[in-house]
Amino acid sequence: MSKLFKNDTIEELREKEDQWQKEFYPTEKDQQFFKTLSGIPIEPLYTPKDIADMDYLRDLGFPGDEPFIRGVYPSMYRGQSWTLRQLAGFGPPEETNKRYKFLLEQGATGINGVFDYPTLRGYDSTDPHAYADAGRGGVAIDTLEDMRILFHGIPIEKISTSLVTCQPICNISIQSMYIANAQNRGVPLNELTGTSQNDFLMETAITIAPEVLPPKASFKLSCDAIEYCAKHVPRWNPISFAGYNYREAGCSATQEVAFVLANAIACTEELIKRGLDVDSFAPRLSFFFSAHSDFFEEIAKYRAARRIWYRIMKERFKAKDTRSLALRFHVQTAGVSLTAQQPLNNTARAAYQALSAVLGGAQSIHVDAYDEALCTPTELSSLTALRTQQILQQETRVTNTVDPLGGSYFVESLTNQLGDRIVALLEEIDEMGGIVKAVEKGWIHKEISNEAYAYQRAIESGEMSIVGVNCYKIENEKLPVELFDVPETLQIQEKKIKKIKKERNSLQAQRALDDIARCCDEDKNLMEVIVDSVKAYITEGEISKTLKMSYGTWNPPVF
Amino acid sequence: MTKGKRIRILIAKPGLDGHDRGAKVVARALRNAGMEVIYTGLHQTPLQIVNAAIDEDVDAIGLSILSGAHKTIFPKIMVLLKEKGISDMLVFGGGTIPRKDWEGLKKIGVGEIFTPGSGTSKIINYLNRTLRRDKNV
Repeated sequence: MSKLFKNDTIEELREKEDQWQKEFYPTEKDQQFFKTLSGIPIEPLYTPKDIADMDYLRDLGFPGDEPFIRGVYPSMYRGQSWTLRQLAGFGPPEETNKRYKFLLEQGATGINGVFDYPTLRGYDSTDPHAYADAGRGGVAIDTLEDMRILFHGIPIEKISTSLVTCQPICNISIQSMYIANAQNRGVPLNELTGTSQNDFLMETAITIAPEVLPPKASFKLSCDAIEYCAKHVPRWNPISFAGYNYREAGCSATQEVAFVLANAIACTEELIKRGLDVDSFAPRLSFFFSAHSDFFEEIAKYRAARRIWYRIMKERFKAKDTRSLALRFHVQTAGVSLTAQQPLNNTARAAYQALSAVLGGAQSIHVDAYDEALCTPTELSSLTALRTQQILQQETRVTNTVDPLGGSYFVESLTNQLGDRIVALLEEIDEMGGIVKAVEKGWIHKEISNEAYAYQRAIESGEMSIVGVNCYKIENEKLPVELFDVPETLQIQEKKIKKIKKERNSLQAQRALDDIARCCDEDKNLMEVIVDSVKAYITEGEISKTLKMSYGTWNPPVF
Repeated sequence: MTKGKRIRILIAKPGLDGHDRGAKVVARALRNAGMEVIYTGLHQTPLQIVNAAIDEDVDAIGLSILSGAHKTIFPKIMVLLKEKGISDMLVFGGGTIPRKDWEGLKKIGVGEIFTPGSGTSKIINYLNRTLRRDKNV
């Protein structure tokens, strides 16, 4: 036992605190204004009494040790900084390659590659559905040749790359192309480091589009990539449970964590069912969280998530490897909190949010650019976002000690409360039969929709202040920033696709697609096949069509 | 349209952009304000949107675009409506559409543009005002 306070101490404090409260807070007025963004009521003051039940070793422990609440590594940022991983991607790969190099030259320490809407959705740039979207929201990738161009001149054996593939239907092709490109460059797969997003909720629950892969099929593809990497690309994080995007779609902090953990539980169960030992893949399951504007709630969220994941892995799945028990995560500052009004204010917003991620122990961070509510970031806004991280890292000295807020009466209490709510929600999902069921029956869609609507109402009623939007407004503001124009993409991609289709061995290409279809029929691991298939220069769109032919499509419910 | 009939709106997400939080929130707010709302979901081509608007006999189409493709998509929708002989359907929009592009859109007949931060009440008022005046709903 290592209880934080003796019972006598607490009793004595309780008396004094009651007196103090009676004197200074005689009524409960205005209580409704003091709550977290997710609705947890906040007291005027926190004291040892609020964490009286905590046991140091059981509930806090040491960094790099159980229950990992104080951080996943013993030395945290004293040993190694978080990775400065600024999102980049637009236009054809030739253009994004330049932006990657620019960010690396300026001190970014990892690549965070985002793909354009057609690529994310599994379409070629030339598909009629891709009308007007090629090169927008990210970089356009159609074939292995594009992947070669995207990483040309970048040492992928040294730099870790995050592939923001969002949904499995994109990931299965794009990650396969990344791996195939590494093989073509002679980079051994056990040297490749990086992460792919690959989260099935992204296409089945977070965004609502008709005719997507059914939840079960999407979930299968996601697990295929995890299994493949566990066997062949051991240093790759084959999934990044995309809590960030759940949050962007409307989730509260509680839902964000509960839904990602429920998803991670489902993947773990599935892979164990496939015969894998939990410690062979769990160390590489990674997480992606939002840093929203409620500073302390976000810090509490990261800390609570670590402790809950540790308990799940230890108690439910009997994991033994320390790395399986430690929840590692990337953070992006909340895009949804950015304003189109007075856009330079977003720099301040994102800086506070990034600080919460650092105080919460993040492994890598992207800071949003100030112009993201208006357009794709310009070179200047991207650079300012990177500099925001560097100021945090080099000037503020918040990295001097590990988990500086650990032991704070307030932060620990909030961490516990948020944790209880997350666990309760997880139990609800368990009772439903797990996350895939929760998606199939539309429960999750409804939850997210309700929360998003409540958030909007809170802004419109003025209950929630957004500077520049519902307070401190400037009428007829003159936009102080230059907007980015996406370079011409479709013609460039069209030309390349035409050339490739003309020059590739059509027999080989057909055989590659047949192999994929057969693999679907035989219910084998698709990534095993697609990594080789993409070398026949088949396009992402051709692969997606083959998958949809085999698995059919699904229309998620709309609320 | 006869007097007293409820306003019918199609909220549509053209293209492959996945940012649909705004579209869903607006659809719900309009519904709560008493309008009949059809939300298409993502991935709609301009032709699908125009056909849906005609099939559903809506008073207005609201296009949510956060991809930057507004300068391509709005004109296409306007042309398709014209080709189908529809001249009295209001087309309005929302999303990351910079002010400098508004004039060009209005010139081709697009109504109001609501950028991030616009309250839903502003959109509701606009639709009530415009549709009731134009159509005597």
